[in-house]
Amino acid sequence: MISGEIIRNARLKGDYFKIDFYAPEITAGARSGQFVHVRIDHRADRILRRPFSIFNATENGILSVVYKVVGEGTRALSRLRPGGVCEIMGPLGRGFSPPPSGTTPVAVDGGYGAAATFMLTRECTRRGLLLLGARSSADILLTEEYAAAGFEVRLATNDGSAGTRGLVTDLVTELLDSRPDERFYFYSCGPHPMLMALARLLRRRGLDGQLSIDHYMCCGIGACFGCVVKVNDPESESGWRYARSCSEGPVFDLNQVYVE
Amino acid sequence: MADLTADFGKFTLKNPVMTASGTFGYGFEYNRFYDISLLGAVVVKGIRMTPSPGNPTPRIAEVTGGMLNAIGLQGPGVDKFLHGEDYLPFLRHIGATVIVNIWGTSVAEYAEVAARLEAEISGITALEINISCPNVKAGGAAFGTDLKLAGQVVGAVRKATSLPLITKLSPNVTSIAEFARVAEAAGSDAVSLVNTFSAMAIDIETRRFRLANRTGGLSGPAIKPIAVRMVYDVSRAVRIPVIGMGGICSGADAVEFMLAGATAVAVGTANFVDPYTPLKVIEFIEAYLDRHGMKRSGDLVGALDS
Repeated sequence: MISGEIIRNARLKGDYFKIDFYAPEITAGARSGQFVHVRIDHRADRILRRPFSIFNATENGILSVVYKVVGEGTRALSRLRPGGVCEIMGPLGRGFSPPPSGTTPVAVDGGYGAAATFMLTRECTRRGLLLLGARSSADILLTEEYAAAGFEVRLATNDGSAGTRGLVTDLVTELLDSRPDERFYFYSCGPHPMLMALARLLRRRGLDGQLSIDHYMCCGIGACFGCVVKVNDPESESGWRYARSCSEGPVFDLNQVYVE
Repeated sequence: MADLTADFGKFTLKNPVMTASGTFGYGFEYNRFYDISLLGAVVVKGIRMTPSPGNPTPRIAEVTGGMLNAIGLQGPGVDKFLHGEDYLPFLRHIGATVIVNIWGTSVAEYAEVAARLEAEISGITALEINISCPNVKAGGAAFGTDLKLAGQVVGAVRKATSLPLITKLSPNVTSIAEFARVAEAAGSDAVSLVNTFSAMAIDIETRRFRLANRTGGLSGPAIKPIAVRMVYDVSRAVRIPVIGMGGICSGADAVEFMLAGATAVAVGTANFVDPYTPLKVIEFIEAYLDRHGMKRSGDLVGALDS
């Protein structure tokens, strides 16, 4: 647990922000898919920490988090100014691991879920693709960063205001159909229904990958069992068990993910 | 330097600061932050005979001054706890003082778990009988809110083991002191209180319960004054030692519980906010004793000027 000094905290667009901390103790071991657990402030009406995916961790100790203002906690975070500090725990959780050799990495993300897979652009030796889905163009972000890192970016929005009109899973189908001889490996972070739809599609096609799945977190280190998600468990009568997304995840292999 | 030892008669703890069951996992999770053998005791998450899946999600809701949880006692079962590498073997290896919280869905199951824990392994300091979890349908508070059943559970565990017993009481009763007296009469060597308060939170936009279980247990600083009052009531009603908990976030909070009559205290929800809280509490108590010219932590217990 360290005190991270805020270097920058700025709006990307709409309700989306990026905050940079100086936190070399955290960036040193951080990898894609891991998260940090941040104490935004010290107030009686919100005592718990907030988990955020690590967007980027640079060699000079800058830890970047991309977040959306969704409630009072993140609103307070958006008001913190450079020079201030936050207590940060991390890097926490199981991150993404590199794709099998000979496969092209494909990040399939929903909205600012693209933040969680960004470091893959550095960790993967082969250049891949970002397939990004969102409600509308207002929720599309980080595409320039992916493009600058050499990833091909394809977009889908529900209202057609950016990229093709439709779902991100449509982009996956399109990719698979247009490049039948290529082997892909998938990474994903986004809303739960999107993850489940992607899991079903990939399984149907016999493909593999890793999904970042989580739930409301409390301790962030596997102690409270608050943030559990269902994973396959052949030993259990139901076929599944609850796994702690903070410590056993948030990244799970596709074959671990229980699809209802 | 004052003597921090907490004396429970049948056992002593190196200091009066423990962790509250359910907020510290099985200890393993927190040892990355500091050496957890420094704690008075690590009270592990509830153990029963078989693995239990726990409740559906969401299980957690933050509220002003605390949080609601309805985890539902998800756990590995007694076999894995006794032999799995991240469980009891780990705690024994690092030399932690271990108190095992136990539960069951029947009186017989409580006794069976207690017997297993004594027969198969040494190095458990005490058992904490959980008759107060508000989040499971059978077991837990079903026993802790009925005087007769509470007495039966404690009596059955007493027969099943010679390990020291702590009974963890529910605050969701009219008179918690009566339950403490029943536990004492049935052979409990100490009582711990409070477990969480049965509570509810609703999202007004979706008009849904914020917990899948609908109700959950309220913990955190919001409950501290009620818990202090209950510790005070119970410490005057029984002769056995009392372990006080409920919203302890600082050393000052802990001293307040001890002045109300607690021989030891447990840190719960604060572990989620600042994992180092138990260590900070120990340091504070030590400094407090020195500052007030007290020689041992026992001098603090019930030392009210009234």
